[in-house]
Amino acid sequence: MRKMKRIVALVLAVALVGISLTGCGSKTSSDAAPKANDTLIYAQGAEPRGLDPALVDDGESAKVMINIYEGLLKYAKDSTKVEPSLAKSWDVSPDGLTYTFHLQEGVKFHDGTDFDAEAVKFNIDRQIPPQVTEDMAYGSFVYGSVKSVEVVDKATVKINLTAPSTPFLNNLAMVMSAPMVSPKALKENNNNVNQAPVGTGPYKFVKWAKDENIVLVANDEYWGTKALTKNVIFKFIKDNSARVVALNNGEADMIDGIDATVVKQITDAGNKIFQAPGMNINYMAYNTSRAPFNDAKLRAAISKSINVPEMVESLYQGYSEPATSILPTFMEGYDKSISQIAYDSEASAKAIKEAGLTSVKIMTYTNPRPYNSATGQALAEAIQGYLSKVGVTATIDSYDWTTYKEKLKAGDYDICFYGWIGDNGDPDNFMYLLAHEDPTMNVALYKNEAFNKLIAKGIETPAGADRSAIYTELEKIAAADAAWLPISHAETLCAYRPNIKDFYFHMTGVTPFAGVSKQ
Amino acid sequence: MLRYIIKRILMLIPVLIGVSIIVFLIMRVFSPDPAPIVLGQHATQASVDAWRQANGLNDPIYLQYFNFITGAITGDLGTSYYTKAPVLKEIFSRFPATIELALLAILLASVFGILIGVISAVKKNSIFDNAGMFLALIGVSMPIFWLGILLIIFFSGTLHWLPSSGRIDPLLQPASVTGFYLIDSLISGDMYAFRDAFEHLILPASALAMYSMAIIARMTRSSMLETLQQDYIRTARAKGISEGRVIGKHALRNGLIPIVTVIGLQLGSLLGGAVLTETVFSWPGIGAYTVACILKSDFPVVQGVVLLIATVFVLVNLMVDVIYAFLDPRIKYSKKEV
Repeated sequence: MRKMKRIVALVLAVALVGISLTGCGSKTSSDAAPKANDTLIYAQGAEPRGLDPALVDDGESAKVMINIYEGLLKYAKDSTKVEPSLAKSWDVSPDGLTYTFHLQEGVKFHDGTDFDAEAVKFNIDRQIPPQVTEDMAYGSFVYGSVKSVEVVDKATVKINLTAPSTPFLNNLAMVMSAPMVSPKALKENNNNVNQAPVGTGPYKFVKWAKDENIVLVANDEYWGTKALTKNVIFKFIKDNSARVVALNNGEADMIDGIDATVVKQITDAGNKIFQAPGMNINYMAYNTSRAPFNDAKLRAAISKSINVPEMVESLYQGYSEPATSILPTFMEGYDKSISQIAYDSEASAKAIKEAGLTSVKIMTYTNPRPYNSATGQALAEAIQGYLSKVGVTATIDSYDWTTYKEKLKAGDYDICFYGWIGDNGDPDNFMYLLAHEDPTMNVALYKNEAFNKLIAKGIETPAGADRSAIYTELEKIAAADAAWLPISHAETLCAYRPNIKDFYFHMTGVTPFAGVSKQ
Repeated sequence: MLRYIIKRILMLIPVLIGVSIIVFLIMRVFSPDPAPIVLGQHATQASVDAWRQANGLNDPIYLQYFNFITGAITGDLGTSYYTKAPVLKEIFSRFPATIELALLAILLASVFGILIGVISAVKKNSIFDNAGMFLALIGVSMPIFWLGILLIIFFSGTLHWLPSSGRIDPLLQPASVTGFYLIDSLISGDMYAFRDAFEHLILPASALAMYSMAIIARMTRSSMLETLQQDYIRTARAKGISEGRVIGKHALRNGLIPIVTVIGLQLGSLLGGAVLTETVFSWPGIGAYTVACILKSDFPVVQGVVLLIATVFVLVNLMVDVIYAFLDPRIKYSKKEV
């Protein structure tokens, strides 16, 4: 029994020590820890899938990878136009089949090996047949048109395509698939550097504590303008309100994945909001393959009954832009003259009555999506409300996202909801959806030969005014045919502490930190 | 005793086989196809088929199970579909966080649970009893994620006393020896890190302890009330033994068996990961991770985690049974008496 007593006493003592430690509350954790101005802490809502650009497809990975790796090209700071990066310049052969890249010289990977034409060939060969593996999510997207890669000399590489493809240049600026990884690291890590990334970028990988954080340190040997801040830490804080507390508390300098409801809480604490345009589209699609919506006039009549700007304002509270086009406004091919069918409830009711339409079947998803924070369910219910005003009863079938995608394949719906997150900043990436063969991509099941021909022409036409005109034309066809009702482009909301300088979130969903500093 | 322990450990084998079959079938029957999740936005039917083929998902199910179980026996649980990292590595990089949190939580829950339970039983129907049982009622009823968010907002957001999330300040992270930050920071002699890790533990451990504490307090109270009615308690009192000794030595010790059982069960389930607490506090443990993997249909990880949790649960229960024998010498696990 005495032993028992001693144990109880010990347990109590430990608990007491614990409580007393809690009690010295005035000393906060933030002043106990040596947090200097040379460390940026970015809190995101989920852990990256991995850090091998060939093997991942998620936005959380992209935010880290953009700081470690570089590709041959990169996007401009405020658009998706491509600029030189590891390639100083490039020439395209007149037939559009051969791209010659002149590489930066003297660039080294973080492991000290040279970046050169051989490295470029190694990285591309790894992602095209016969070496490509089925789990390389973006390999066929980025390099699908590549036939072969030739090393001309140490600083020149030639890429041969199977068919002309103007989007190819945009692909090379992507953070998926396109960045250059050290061939030595790939060989040492069994062709998978998810846990041990080695690139040429302004930051080097230090460590990854699973489900906690990833630590990067500035690359002192960087060939370009060196990073302003020594350390960058990516913290993973899943709970949205905890992430906001972490920012307001100083445990994080920057956070993302917030919504309109917490903006006031953040600004009241003296922090700032960064609202980045989004490269995405949230839309409603009609099933054009069957009655009643194989009739473009009836589709237009339904679209007329929906007040898109009003609905977008109420669902997204000013943090999504009502869509007037399929393409985001910063993209090549977007033209102010494009407009969708305007809201006109009366005309809509009249046309619907004439057509004798009384009920429609809506299918939707229950989850929030990056382009639709309000969930497909909320969107469907809003549309149901508008339809009831014009005498149409809508039934809604909703499913979780994974099941929903399966259900789409069966094609049993009159109206469904979907969205797209742009990959490479090229207009083809959006407009092609309406020409796609796969029913889970082209959910409107839209088929229009003239449209498809124009899509094919757009891929081949070199970048410039002629090409932009093609996409403007495609937009106009899509608007007149009303297979989709474009709803909104979701914006990305980030927040940062007032002492953070030059923070920005690029429209492609990445956060380059080289130019960011802490005062 | 030793024989008994060995026998119990051997009994793990049928348990694990049973559990592995169940989880294997559940994942394959009820989970969506992992291929489109792994391959993402650009998945086509052809790439989905190729991926399924490469990962053996087109094989007959008994062959898939055979491949999995032979791998598991040799210590190879496969690689995660989603991250392509070995499952064992994924699990063991997170399990220490779960253990650390569970142990502190169960410690808090036991100390306060037993304390409240004993006071409530001894002072039955008094204000202490009512207050204690009201607290226990709150403990079992309050949703843990809500309690967690309240704790964060109050202690972290408003008072700024404690950190809101994570295990430690990333800059203080000690070199990993055991994976337990409290121990690792002591090994490296970094008291700053120790203190920081401890501060990070307090809120999640308190939130997590609340429910277990309530259960333990209730069990202690009812068990104590029962023993306090026993004749030997009256005898002890009649002999003139002080009330403190009567309660501590005679009543509590005899009442401990059901309490230890409850503590064991609670610890077992806490070690299986505390999904909500881990999510709210961004605690890098096994629970929230497993849920994420279930949602992504990451079969190898889910199978691995379930095997691990089953093993831990069986071992914790075995420990409890062994503790019985120490608490009550009449309980013996020799062959003759069983």
